Amino acid sequence: MECVVQGIIETQHVEALEILLVGLCGAPKQRVRVHELCLKSGPNLVSSEVRLLCDLAQPTPSWTIRHVGGAMRGAGADQLSVLVRPIAESKASSTALRFFYAIGYKLDHEVLKTGFAFQFQNRGANLTVSVTSTNRMPRLHATDDAVPITPGIHMVEITAPAASENYTEVASAIASFCEYLSPLLHLSKPSNSTGIVPTAAAAAASLMSSGGGIKTL
Amino acid sequence: MPVKWLMHFQPNQGTTLTSQVMTEACAVAESFPGVSRDGRWRSSMTFYRAVPRDQSLPQPSDLPRDLIGISLHDLPNEFLFVMRSQRLILRAQSSVQTVIDKLQSYKGRFFINFEGVQYKWGDFKLRIGKCLYNPNESLRGIVMEVEYLPLSSMDKSQRVMEEFYEIWREAVASKLLAGQFINTEVNFSEYGLGDSYTPQHTAVLYGMCVVQVIASSNKNQ
Repeated sequence: MECVVQGIIETQHVEALEILLVGLCGAPKQRVRVHELCLKSGPNLVSSEVRLLCDLAQPTPSWTIRHVGGAMRGAGADQLSVLVRPIAESKASSTALRFFYAIGYKLDHEVLKTGFAFQFQNRGANLTVSVTSTNRMPRLHATDDAVPITPGIHMVEITAPAASENYTEVASAIASFCEYLSPLLHLSKPSNSTGIVPTAAAAAASLMSSGGGIKTL
Repeated sequence: MPVKWLMHFQPNQGTTLTSQVMTEACAVAESFPGVSRDGRWRSSMTFYRAVPRDQSLPQPSDLPRDLIGISLHDLPNEFLFVMRSQRLILRAQSSVQTVIDKLQSYKGRFFINFEGVQYKWGDFKLRIGKCLYNPNESLRGIVMEVEYLPLSSMDKSQRVMEEFYEIWREAVASKLLAGQFINTEVNFSEYGLGDSYTPQHTAVLYGMCVVQVIASSNKNQ
């Protein structure tokens, strides 16, 4: 299970966001370069979708197989400002893509996500904040030639693993962290995007001139 | 990772395999000087079938019928898939089984467990076990996994493994069992595997061995 929120920020303000995050997280910045392949089952098979993620930021690419379930529903889930959903993941050998092709899956689309991320703890929850540009490839698997799908816009995502016993606490930890980012961007459930915030430019300018100076959580 | 060979007991034509073979094979192992019993072992294998979108129709011919998943006794946190027709192996964490469950496009059709006794004999580990069809626990075969701890190169360990194989066959022959142990021969390069031994090699060995075990079990029933 994981809790997740997303938001968008203009690319020109990403540097300011990074300054803010360095100050807040107290964790080293990690480079993100992930080739994400979305596969769907062929017409003969029960309909299903699986994602393969190839981490290209490491010296040796590593693969993860990921299944994302539907959002948790119900009164409890609706009241949360974060989305809660089941996740199943497994690291896998580099034969993962060939494996899924062999069992009848087809490539639906692929993207390259580039940017940076921070992993840290807030209120006992393990948060990952990632700031990425989503890029498309002009030819199959041509990650070196990828271009942004929405130039000028970056996506910010905060995720945290959760269990059925503690997802409300994890959701609360994410929500409280989002407050610190609110001058720059608004984060919400992926289905409830609110766009860029009007205070972003002023907040970014303030961060760039002060160079941060915010206490680590 | 130490090199392994995998053998199975091939009953003579027209004879039925019984668990007496397991008893006798263990007696042979226990007769080796300096051998010590080293607990039990268990690996398991899942045979998958595709779930077609229209379940009133037979399984489409373009979907694999030989997808197996293996959980090895010495790698409890991992799971490997083998597809012999494609010479394909996938090595993953054991959580991949949850992913496959969630996808619902492939389901476990039947299961075979390999379980038995483990011995330590000098630089060798010997694992003698029954192949039990799950769920009715019917005996389908007897296997022996031989591990040579000092070496991970298959080329360099070939001679010592061949010598062990001869020692084993002669010792078993003296028990006058109605059959013999046959080594599983695999062309690992067809699976993209090299000389340095890995869990993927073990998965391929079990994948090949179980086909032979089931074939001889069906022939002698």
